[in-house]
Amino acid sequence: MATQEIGLNEALEAEGIRAYETDLAELIVQLGKDRPSHILVPAIHRNRGEIRDIFAREMGEWGRPAPEGLTDTPAELADAARLHLREKFLRAKVGISGANFMVAETGTLVVVESEGNGRMCLTLPETLISVVGIEKIVPTWRDLEVFLQTLPRSSTAERMNPYTSTWTGTTDGDGPSAFHLVLLDNGRTDTLADEVGRQALRCIRCSACLNVCPVYERAGGHAYGSVYPGPIGAILSPQLRGTQSEIDASLPYASSLCGACYEVCPVAIDIPEVLVHLRERVVQGGPVTREGNKVVLKPAKGHAAERAAMRAARWAFSHPGACAPAAARVPHPPAASALPAGPRQGVERLTRPPGRAGGALPRLVAAHTRRKGRCQVSSRERILGRVRRALADVPGDEPSYEEAVGRDYLREHGDRSVEETVDLLAENLADYRAIVHRCTADDLAATLAGMLAARGARTVLVPPGLDPGWLATTDAERVADTAGSTPYELDRVDSVVTACAVAVAETGTIVLDCSPDQGRRRITLVPDHHICVVRVPDQVVSSVPQVMERLDPARPLTWISGPSATSDIELDRVEGVHGPRTLEVILVG
Amino acid sequence: MRVALFLTCVNDTLYPDTGRAVVSLLTRLGVEVDFPMAQTCCGQAHYNTGYRHEAEPLARHFSDVFGGYEAIVTPSGSCGAMVRELYPRMGERARAEGRGDTLAATLAPVVPKTYELTEFLVDVLGVTDVGAYYPRTVTYHPTCHGLRGLGLGERPRRLLRAVRGLELVELPGADECCGFGGTFAVKNADVSAAMGADKVRNAESTGADVLCAADNSCLMHIGGTMTRLRSGLRPVHIAEILASTEEEPAV
Repeated sequence: MATQEIGLNEALEAEGIRAYETDLAELIVQLGKDRPSHILVPAIHRNRGEIRDIFAREMGEWGRPAPEGLTDTPAELADAARLHLREKFLRAKVGISGANFMVAETGTLVVVESEGNGRMCLTLPETLISVVGIEKIVPTWRDLEVFLQTLPRSSTAERMNPYTSTWTGTTDGDGPSAFHLVLLDNGRTDTLADEVGRQALRCIRCSACLNVCPVYERAGGHAYGSVYPGPIGAILSPQLRGTQSEIDASLPYASSLCGACYEVCPVAIDIPEVLVHLRERVVQGGPVTREGNKVVLKPAKGHAAERAAMRAARWAFSHPGACAPAAARVPHPPAASALPAGPRQGVERLTRPPGRAGGALPRLVAAHTRRKGRCQVSSRERILGRVRRALADVPGDEPSYEEAVGRDYLREHGDRSVEETVDLLAENLADYRAIVHRCTADDLAATLAGMLAARGARTVLVPPGLDPGWLATTDAERVADTAGSTPYELDRVDSVVTACAVAVAETGTIVLDCSPDQGRRRITLVPDHHICVVRVPDQVVSSVPQVMERLDPARPLTWISGPSATSDIELDRVEGVHGPRTLEVILVG
Repeated sequence: MRVALFLTCVNDTLYPDTGRAVVSLLTRLGVEVDFPMAQTCCGQAHYNTGYRHEAEPLARHFSDVFGGYEAIVTPSGSCGAMVRELYPRMGERARAEGRGDTLAATLAPVVPKTYELTEFLVDVLGVTDVGAYYPRTVTYHPTCHGLRGLGLGERPRRLLRAVRGLELVELPGADECCGFGGTFAVKNADVSAAMGADKVRNAESTGADVLCAADNSCLMHIGGTMTRLRSGLRPVHIAEILASTEEEPAV
């Protein structure tokens, strides 16, 4: 979303670089020369027939054409997208991603997704560029234990999304060798400076507010004129972009203030409060921060009659003797013409703050420009300076963050024996369509051999540190993964067998940390069949907070909860998009 | 207890029957109700449209008029929420603008004493059976500010279930806004009307004779929609149902 916010694709296009959207819905939007209409399901305004037509018509223009005779069933459409994008993933030199969270204390980035397109971009290209809004930073690793539970529940109503990737810089021999992080301000520090409006920066883009909004439901996402539609867009866009344009000045009014959004918001953004605050900014003007500078907005034009009516009503209501008891005695409201005349443009005007010299028209001069000639100020210093100034009204870090944040929430849900925890893991894995097997350590080799044979796998990829005994009896050809293995070679392998670092019972999640028995991140992504071996009960924990304690943020982590999936076509769930379409888990104990 | 009726400007102008119903209901329950003649408007329309500064004199006026009472009862969820939720916020904003604590201090006394009617009945008077009689099939629409602002919860339904002769039927999509939203209905009329039409169709699907709510501004929007859709339903304020008795039926 951040890249759409700044128009990156268009800018790249102008430089002769073609950027391919890889999320299924974003692909539909891009191929359809369309605009997104929902934060989580950007092509929700397209039905399956339209998507079929777009794929059949456009895919050939961009690369691998849609298969002949493509029907409109979501599974077939998702498969067409898989084939179309696979060739691009295998040869792309540069991947661009966003991130859902960034952890300050460890320098870790987090991507939460369903389809596996994110994992492709994060692990296959040689260069990774992540463009992330600065509001995505959380102070500590431990904070993720809250957000990794909150986000999937509020966005897709899942216990856990299929894939979560975390990475901290680059890892030798695994993933991109060059990683660039672009920290995006683009109006965020200005928003931070507003003590009422800044709560909008807490948004984790779950889209729960869109899903309950009666206005969004009827007006549709395009009406919001921004990549951020719905209630959150109505408070975010006029803050990031300012209220100058007609659309941005109208967005704060795109709500009946029914409060359904606030009720479902997992990060408690009081959207109605901010909407009213922004309405005030539009009609009354007042101090705001623009590009780091404090300016005073004049009331917007085009509201003169409304303003006069409000003033008249205020006068009448605060002088009840003048109009009681009969309405006939209501005084005439001040005529609209008594107000200063001006063009009716419906946009706000900027002026300098009172007491500052300057012309009639605003000229926004950034602090760094004014200081030019004295010393060079880097964008880093500029943004940090803006953040400091924006938070001038906020008390300092006393008590410290760790003391200030309440951690009295449940560390796990329910009281279970070790055995019950393992059973819960099996149940939740199966619930998210992983195929679960249970065997003893002695039977593991035979079980694996049987599974590979049942799958018809002729080749099986083996991470360097996998216990050789596990695959001692399989008939499938063992293929070693080396640093030199190309994505194309991985793509030709039938199956991959790995161990895991730890598994989470409550969410049905297996976590890989790229230890030698799990191998590089890409080997559990490109092949279509992944078998993961979990040693129970040693490798099983109950909950997300418990797993965070066992994981090393410095290692690249992949959280897997079932096969990759998408609901981007008419919200009809299809399992298997870019990641392995079959996930089998063996619980050994 | 010195109880004042805050009728609200909308009721005073358009729905005086609701005011009469509240007085007769509370009188029947042994409450002496005062009606301060100087009362006007709580300032909600100003505040929610972005004219907070214009709303301040109205809030101060409200506080002047009602400050001396022990309880202020209003038959409007949204006006009740204005006083309870937004008056404190107006005080905070004035403080943040460097205007000191005066506004906050002026408004503070009326905030905890203001009750929406059903809240006053259930929480303060402790009654759910108010001795009412209303032989109709009724469906209840919980208005947004009553539901999510004041958290009225089951109170109105408990009161309605205790009314003799009344059959209460559940409204599908009850929690969804009717589309009024004050000036929203003017500024985004198409969306507002679409929401109103859905509300009325849901109400019709219940087979009820009456759609009841605890806020006449919402009922105005819903009632207007009913008229345009030629629906057989009638919008009725909960106070009028609770005031109705076998001796003096409202139907």
